[in-house]
Amino acid sequence: MSSATKVIGTGPGAWFGFIGSTLASYPGRYRASYHRRRRRTILLTLLVVGTLIYPIVHSVLLAGFSRNVLPLPLPDDTVMTFMTIFAIMSIGLNIVAGFAGLLDLGYVAFYAIGAYVAAFLASPHFGQFGINLVFLGHVGPGAVGIHLPFWIVAIVAIIVVATFGALLGAPTLRLRGDYLAIVTLGFGEIVPLFFKNLSSLTISFALGPLLINVSNVNLTGGVQGINPIDPPFLPILDVLFDARSGPLAVYLGMFLVTIAIVVARNLDLSRMGRAWGAIREDETAAEMMGVNTVRTKLLAFALGASFAGVAGAFQASYLGATTSDFFDFSISILVLIMVILGGIGNVWGALAGAVMLVYVDKTLLPYVSQRIGDVAPTLPNPAQYNFLIYGVLLVVMMRFRPQGFLPSRQREAELSVHGLADADAQMGVVGEFDNVGVAPPGQDETGADSRSAETPDESRHL
Amino acid sequence: MDQIIQTLIIGLANGLIYALVALGYTLVYGIIELINFAHGDVFMLGSMLAYVLIAPPSSGGWGIFSIEAGTPLPQLIVQILIVLAICMVSMSTLNWFIERVAYRPLRHAPKLAPLITAIGVSFILQNVGLILGGAYQRTVDSVFPTDNLLAPLGITNIVLTASQVFVAVVTIPLLVALSWFVGKTRQGRAMRATAQDPDTAGLMGVDVNRTIAITFVIGGALAGAAGLVQILYNNYTVYTLGFRFGLNSFTAAVLGGIGNLQGAVLGALVIGEINAISDRYISPNWTQAIVFGVLIAVLVFKPTGLLGQQLADRA
Repeated sequence: MSSATKVIGTGPGAWFGFIGSTLASYPGRYRASYHRRRRRTILLTLLVVGTLIYPIVHSVLLAGFSRNVLPLPLPDDTVMTFMTIFAIMSIGLNIVAGFAGLLDLGYVAFYAIGAYVAAFLASPHFGQFGINLVFLGHVGPGAVGIHLPFWIVAIVAIIVVATFGALLGAPTLRLRGDYLAIVTLGFGEIVPLFFKNLSSLTISFALGPLLINVSNVNLTGGVQGINPIDPPFLPILDVLFDARSGPLAVYLGMFLVTIAIVVARNLDLSRMGRAWGAIREDETAAEMMGVNTVRTKLLAFALGASFAGVAGAFQASYLGATTSDFFDFSISILVLIMVILGGIGNVWGALAGAVMLVYVDKTLLPYVSQRIGDVAPTLPNPAQYNFLIYGVLLVVMMRFRPQGFLPSRQREAELSVHGLADADAQMGVVGEFDNVGVAPPGQDETGADSRSAETPDESRHL
Repeated sequence: MDQIIQTLIIGLANGLIYALVALGYTLVYGIIELINFAHGDVFMLGSMLAYVLIAPPSSGGWGIFSIEAGTPLPQLIVQILIVLAICMVSMSTLNWFIERVAYRPLRHAPKLAPLITAIGVSFILQNVGLILGGAYQRTVDSVFPTDNLLAPLGITNIVLTASQVFVAVVTIPLLVALSWFVGKTRQGRAMRATAQDPDTAGLMGVDVNRTIAITFVIGGALAGAAGLVQILYNNYTVYTLGFRFGLNSFTAAVLGGIGNLQGAVLGALVIGEINAISDRYISPNWTQAIVFGVLIAVLVFKPTGLLGQQLADRA
């Protein structure tokens, strides 16, 4: 918290300056000169103002117009909203994978849980059990089912999802690296499966004197999912705009993304963030220095998950419906690609990755497909093979630029200033980076235990 | 009782297919500690290849070796052997190529880099399958007679079909051959040495890169064989098959103790039985969740697996 407040003081333009100066305020050789810093501040201010104006400009002026005039299609409101949803998730996954170095391949599970929390707490669904609760929001008193306003739903989603994150993390976080990836992958597959299958729940057993008898209860709506879900509740703005269509949802998303960025950055700069960095670099050494590794990793896991919870609740409220089909493995991978593409460990990288990839996935590829379809309908449709493109992207990124396009400067600086790479070279550990065509520091961006991977072990046998 | 035995027979046949794929995972993990995410998709492509070779042109195949139900036995055997050879060789080549292009350059990178690469490769292969086979499930007619082989023995309650015997006839020799190769040959010794310590093995004159490439070739061959068996026994393939099947097989490898060949086979048989029992007695809807539950439980409570050794430090 303290670093963030200090940073606010240094920037010339209070709030926008905050962003510019945080980027400019890295230690050591990355401290830019005053002029460069000012220029960057101005540029970033323009960027932020442009981003803020764009949705409303788009909806007023450009909608329906852009497609044929500009060389590239512009994202519309839905795409922009999804940019914010995925940005929240990639910032959250960046905490898990980037800060703490834990590869989570089941991140979609938390997204799904968040969405279903919204579906349970802001829809007529529970009316079937005779549970009716209306509090604030759009829905008048006396409505069927539970209807809580979005903000309460979001907070409940955070709590529920963080709890699930902790429950999954507690037994599994002592596993390292690739095993953790597989366990989380399994979790990410099981959770949507539960939501899909718990549509006719029949339980009947006696628990002491208590007889539990549930027969054929439709808890999750099965394949159809749950709808309608209440739209996000925005007290005054709702009178002017529909919270689902138009720029209002985009602004709501941007607001949530801003909170996510501030929280993530403060976490990164906090004592906890340093502990994550220590664990990421060398877990054994971190433990020797007094970092409680299990608790630290658990916090990263639960905190990172809670971002997906908010994203899920927002997505469900925005779309007004949720089904288990939304939440498959490819979403976990999509978010992971966003983090890797942007620069693992860097909040801004995660944000940029999300914006880029959602743009490519939801605007550019459909547009290109449409254009190709107009010219030559027999050619393959790129939108159908989007994951082929992402697969190639992952392989190429890992090979040639594992640190991403906007690598975490702090980590790059950390590594070269304190000379971890140099030290290794002096100690004769050359060749560790031999086969990689880029700067050594990038190597560590991706790895949980790159250094401990060298430890010999007796266990391998065939 | 008959029903249980029947379920176990079905589980055993599927378990043997899982074993072929699980061995690919465990070989690769044993030697370079990489969860080869793409291996399930290599299996899927093997089944796709077998499909296009076997299926008649009327159902979307190339019909080169269109095997039909009424084929006389000697001709059937020859055709199956040819297709088996094609599948094994192609998938070996594919796996060798993947290792050469995607994994070898990352040999000294942090552990998670090749894992992420493997996920990327998996998506690429899945899309190749999508291009080859389309988005829908492809099915072929069973080429084997469906009579109960146990009927002459007077057992009619339990059905053992020729296709189930076929699964065993193809897989068991392959498993034995692999075991012999790894345990008894010079190249197998090189593999074991590399698995224990690549650097030392290299100093002792083992060509580590070649050994790793051979491991991938063997894994690919087994996956190709499994692909053909999948087509001839379960009679279907689809481009997403690799993901689900691969996770089942990976679970099998972990259950048996990853890196351990006998463990992989044992784990695969157990996973096959769990699948069959869950499909039969619980619900096919929950089978996948149960398998994942087993995977998570094994990794959490006994990361060394049933037959593995101490892996917890590294895991």
